Amino acid sequence: MTYDIHAYLAEFDDIPGTRVYTAVRARKGYHLNQFAMSLMKAENRERFKADENAYLSEWPLTDAQKAAVLARDYNAMLDEGGNIYFLAKIFATDGKSFQYAAGSMTGMSQDEYAAMMLGGGRSPEGVRSIREGR
Amino acid sequence: MARITAGITTSHVPAIGAAIDLGKTNEDYWKPVFAGYDWVKQYQAREKPDVVVLVYNDHASAFDMKIIPTFAIGCADEYAIADEGWGPRPVPPVKGHADLAWHIAQCCVLDEFDLTMINEMTVDHGLTVPLSLIFGEVSQWPARVVPIAVNVVTYPPPSGNRCWMLGEAIARAVASFPEDLNVQIWGTGGMSHQLQGPRAGLINKAWDQAFLDRLTSDPEALRHMPHIEYLREAGSEGIELVMWLIMRGALGGHVKELHRHYHVPASNTAVGHIVLEPA
Repeated sequence: MTYDIHAYLAEFDDIPGTRVYTAVRARKGYHLNQFAMSLMKAENRERFKADENAYLSEWPLTDAQKAAVLARDYNAMLDEGGNIYFLAKIFATDGKSFQYAAGSMTGMSQDEYAAMMLGGGRSPEGVRSIREGR
Repeated sequence: MARITAGITTSHVPAIGAAIDLGKTNEDYWKPVFAGYDWVKQYQAREKPDVVVLVYNDHASAFDMKIIPTFAIGCADEYAIADEGWGPRPVPPVKGHADLAWHIAQCCVLDEFDLTMINEMTVDHGLTVPLSLIFGEVSQWPARVVPIAVNVVTYPPPSGNRCWMLGEAIARAVASFPEDLNVQIWGTGGMSHQLQGPRAGLINKAWDQAFLDRLTSDPEALRHMPHIEYLREAGSEGIELVMWLIMRGALGGHVKELHRHYHVPASNTAVGHIVLEPA
């Protein structure tokens, strides 16, 4: 099977509103994701909740990464190389659901997002491809 | 000899696990999700599989960013339930089948599939929610499990064709295991869903249903579907569906569909479930 890695990766940028977790993002977000992973342990969740700034300072994160975490800005965390399955440890620590977190990235209120899902979800019409406008 | 008797797929949404664990399955929101699994529970009571080769993906639970195996096989006797950030699910530990798992691992390497062997790991909702949906709430799981963990998180995941070929290699390995075992292969994850970014919440019912149809009518088309189509049509997390092709590849050229269930939504996700037997 033939492939062109550059074309393969370039196509991901043609999907609107989506950050595909490529090697570039995985490298940028390595410590952000490993920090989030540390919240799998109950004692770390307690320490993080007690003093978020102090806990974050133990990790080699950029200022932008720290700010995105403190603001619980999940789109910004994605831009900083976060992966949603790792970031899930942060909203789980906050006692928030996956639906809450996903909704928070869409610009809709939690109720609006839940209603959209009950209504069958977001249609793929118009959000398949930026280039092709479909 | 061991034999693969059925292929079963299901979505593995964490909220489904929470609904079971918190006793919410009779709520109006959840009832139609769970009703679609009544059939398979009866089927399993008749079929009594000895072992399930359970294809799933870890969601940053057992594997972090330090090591990213594309295909890994659990070779342990038992797997503890992962704490995914809100405590482990209150379900029984998962019993492995180390003899069969090591047999599959050895056969696959000689068959040019270099699986990563895992001797210790926890298992997360990706593996336990399918067990709950298909076996119900039990004090111990009625079948042993050989976990096959697939990387569908860090790009690129394996191609659909590669997944299919792994399924074929697993089927060959199972067929050469000397013990008389009734083995099922399960594919989990999907269907359409996107959990990230402004496009979160994407659901594509028509595409999902065509995917279910094509498992029987045109699996070759699925085998050669590029990743970008999953992403555009079924959302960024819809890529999990490549794992279903490991199940499908293991069943051989022709299958018959015994049961199907499709429901939107479970939290952010379209739930799909199908039961196939080799024809």
